[in-house]
Amino acid sequence: MKVLMFTWEFPPLISGGLGMACYGMVKALLSLGIKIDLVLPTKEEVYFPMREISDVDTLPAVFLNARKQIQYENRVFSGISERIEFIGLNDHPESYFQLSDINRYVTSIKKELWSKESFAFKEQDIWQQMTNNLIGDEDLIRKIQEYTLRAERMAKTLNYDIIHAHDWLTYPAGMLARRISSKPLIVHIHATEFDRAGGPGDERIHKIEHAGMTYADKVIAVSQYTSQMIMSRYRIDTGKIRIVHNAFSLPEDAVIAKERIFKGPVILFLGRITLQKGPDYFLEMAQKVLQIHSDARFIMAGTGDMSRKLLRSSAGLKLRNRFLFTGFLNRKQVERILRAADIYVLPSVSEPFGISPLEAMAYGITSIISKQSGVSEVVKHAFKIDFWDVDLWVETINHLIENPQYCTKMGIEGMREVNKIQWDEAADKIRQIYSTTLADYVRKS
Amino acid sequence: MLNIVFYFQVHQPYRLTHFNVLDIGQSKPIFDDKLNGDVMRKVAQKCYLPTNKLLLDLIKEHEGRFKIAFSITGTAIEQFKLYSPETLDSFKALADTGYVEFIGETYYHSLAFLYDSNEFLDQVMMHRDLMKKEFSYDTETFRNTELIYQDRLSDLVFEIPGFKTILTEGVDRVLQWRSPLYAYKNYSKRINLLLKYYQLADDIAFRFSNRDWPEYPLTVEKFVSWIDKLTLNEYKGKNQFLNLFMDYETFGEHQWASTGIFDFMRHFPAAVLQHQHLGFAHPKETTELSNYQQESVSFPEAVSWADEERDLSAWLENDMQHNAIETLYALLDQIKVKGDPDLLRTARMLSTSDHFYYMCAKYFQDGDVHKYFSPYDSPDQAYIYYINALAELEERLLR
Repeated sequence: MKVLMFTWEFPPLISGGLGMACYGMVKALLSLGIKIDLVLPTKEEVYFPMREISDVDTLPAVFLNARKQIQYENRVFSGISERIEFIGLNDHPESYFQLSDINRYVTSIKKELWSKESFAFKEQDIWQQMTNNLIGDEDLIRKIQEYTLRAERMAKTLNYDIIHAHDWLTYPAGMLARRISSKPLIVHIHATEFDRAGGPGDERIHKIEHAGMTYADKVIAVSQYTSQMIMSRYRIDTGKIRIVHNAFSLPEDAVIAKERIFKGPVILFLGRITLQKGPDYFLEMAQKVLQIHSDARFIMAGTGDMSRKLLRSSAGLKLRNRFLFTGFLNRKQVERILRAADIYVLPSVSEPFGISPLEAMAYGITSIISKQSGVSEVVKHAFKIDFWDVDLWVETINHLIENPQYCTKMGIEGMREVNKIQWDEAADKIRQIYSTTLADYVRKS
Repeated sequence: MLNIVFYFQVHQPYRLTHFNVLDIGQSKPIFDDKLNGDVMRKVAQKCYLPTNKLLLDLIKEHEGRFKIAFSITGTAIEQFKLYSPETLDSFKALADTGYVEFIGETYYHSLAFLYDSNEFLDQVMMHRDLMKKEFSYDTETFRNTELIYQDRLSDLVFEIPGFKTILTEGVDRVLQWRSPLYAYKNYSKRINLLLKYYQLADDIAFRFSNRDWPEYPLTVEKFVSWIDKLTLNEYKGKNQFLNLFMDYETFGEHQWASTGIFDFMRHFPAAVLQHQHLGFAHPKETTELSNYQQESVSFPEAVSWADEERDLSAWLENDMQHNAIETLYALLDQIKVKGDPDLLRTARMLSTSDHFYYMCAKYFQDGDVHKYFSPYDSPDQAYIYYINALAELEERLLR
C-alpha cells in the first residue's frame, strides 16, 4: 500500500505537536510495510519518498523537475542538515506566485473541473467553499496557495492508493489530489480552528476545514474530545469519523535521568505560549503557589504570540526570579528542561490531544492536565482538572510540593503507563482505516 | 565673572551574556567578557585615549586656566585595568597636572540610593577609597548615578565627611524662575548644589552633529558668543557658573571624530579665555567663589539627567524594571547575611543602573537612545537575561 501524505510539519520543521505526531505515525506505518510519499511546505518542489524506517530521520528527497534532480544528486552535502537546508525545509517559499496568478489559477481549475459531468452539484459546492476561502494575502494563505499548486503536480506524477492530509493547511492539497486522481482521501484532525483560537477564530479556516472533512472519505480525529467537536461544530457525518489517539515513543538517544537545575520544586509549562494552551492560567497558579511555597520556580518553556504579554504580567505580579522564560528550545534543550522539572502542567483551554504531557510523563514527571484535552482520555496516572478551576490546580500543586515522595511515586507510575502508549498501536488502527477505506472505494467504483 | 564648570562622566558597565534558563547551574559566566573587552578597547581608541591626550595638551597649554572634572566609576576603572591599562595611565597623567578634580559617586554606578541606604553608603565609600588609591585624590564633590537627586540624597551625602558639593540636573520644574547659573544650597542649607545648564551642555552632547538642528554646525565662535550673552544677566558682580556636565564618551564615541568634535574642543578653551570675564572652575571651588548668600532649593521629587522627562523613568518605569531591581536588592540582603564576598561582588556588578536602562520600553525618541546603548535586541530580552542571572546567583547562594 502506498500513501500520498500531505503535512505542514515534520522534524526538523516543527513548531508543535503536529510535527511530532506525524513523525511517530510515519515511522510506525513504515514498520508495517506501508510506503509513504511525504509532501512538505519546502522551498524547493520536492517530495520525500519514505520506504525504510530510517528515512524519517534522513529525509531522502526527490525533485519533480528532472534537471534539478540531477543537479541535486550531483551536489555534495556535508551532512543531513545542510542537505535539508538546501531543499528549504526550514525556510519558506521565496518563489511566491503573485496573488493575481493564484486567483487566475483557482478560476481555471474551477472551470476545468466543473466542465466534467462527473462533478456533481454538491461537490461543486464543497469545492467552491474551499477555493473561495483560500483567498487572502497573508503570508500563510499565500504559502498554502503555493503548496496547493504543487499538490496538483504531485498528484499527477506520483503513484499511490490513498491520500492522507493532516490539518486544514493541507486540506486544499488533499482535495485537489483526490479530484485529480479519484483516489480516496483521509483527512486527519489534529486541531480545529476552535481549539487554536480559543473562540470563533477565522471564518475562512472553518470553511476550509469543513470543506476538507466533507469532501474526505474518512475523517480521523485524535480523540473522543475532537470527534465530539467535529460532530457538534462542523456537522460531519458520524459514520465517517474514526478516532485514533496519538502516542509517544521516546527517541532512542533519550536520557531521562533527573538532573536538577534548581534546588526548589520546579513546575513546568511546555508548549506554544498561546491562548489555546492557557498560559495565563499558569501565571495565575504561579502567583498563588508562590505565596505559600516561595522556593518554587515556574518555568515557561516555548514561544508564542502571548510571550510578551505573559512576561510583562509576570513582572507586574512581582514574581521576582521565580517565574522564568526559556524562549525557544530545540529537542535536546527540551530534554534538559524536562529532566529538571518536578511537575508538568497543561492548562489548555481546548486541547484536541496534547502529546507534550505524554512526553513529560515519559520523563517521569508528575503531570496535571486539563480535562478539556484528548490526552486525558488515554492516561490514568495524571491529575485531570478543568482548565478554569485555578484553585484546584493550586491545591494540587501545593499538595505535590508538600508530599515529594507521593509526587515521585505518581511520576514513576505515569512513566510506566506512558511507556505502553506506543505509536505501533495507533499505526495499526490507521492501517485498518486505510484498508476499509480502500475496500469501500473499490466496491463503489 | 562666569566660570565654566566642565564635568565628564566616565562609565562602562559589565554587560551580561545571553544568559538562558538552561545556563543556570552550568558555571557559565554571567558577564560577557569578550563583549565588555571589545567595547572598552573600542571606546578607548575612539574616545578615552585621544580625548585624554587633547585635554592634557590643553591643560598644559593654558597653564592651569583650563580646568576639568571627572567622575569615573569603579566598574570603568576595573575594566581599564582588564582591557585598556594605557587608558588608566592617561587618566593618571591628567591627575598629575593638578588641574583635574575627581568626583565621588557609587562605585557600581548603581541606583542603591533609592533602595538601600546602607548599600549606597558602602558603594560611595568604596569609590572614595578607589579615587584615593588610583589618583591620590580626596573627593569633595559628589554626583549620584545619572545625576539622580532628591532632598534625601543631600542628607545622606552630608553624613559622609568631606563632601561639600553635589551636582545635579537644572530641571525647569524645580528651578522655575531661578537660574541654573548660580550655586545653590540644598533644602537644609548644609551642602552646595551645582545645576547642569542642560540647554548648552546638550548642544554639545546631543545636538552637535545633528544636521536637522537649525544651529548646525556648532562653531566655537557661536558657542562662546552664546556663553558671553549669559553674562548680560550678571548682577552686582555675582559670580556665575555655567555647568556643562556630560558623558565623556560624547567625544569620539557619541559624536564621532568626523563630526569635528575634537577640533571644537581644541579651540574652545582659548576662545573662552580671550574674554576677561569668562573662565573655568572646578566644582569644588564654587563654594568659595559664591560671593553671595546662596538660596536653597528643594527637590521633593527625584530628578535625573535622562530623557525628556529628567526623572527616574529611564530605569524605573515599567514592571520589568521594578521587578528586576526589587529582586536584586532582596537578594543582596540575603547575600550580605551569608557573607560570601564573590556573590556580593557579582550582585553589586548587577546593581549597575545600565541593566535597568536596557529594560526601558518607552518607544519614542528616547527609546531610540536606549536602543543605541543596549547590547540586547529588546527590553524583554534584557529583562529575561537579567532575571535568569539573578536566579543563577540565588542558586549559587543556596549551594
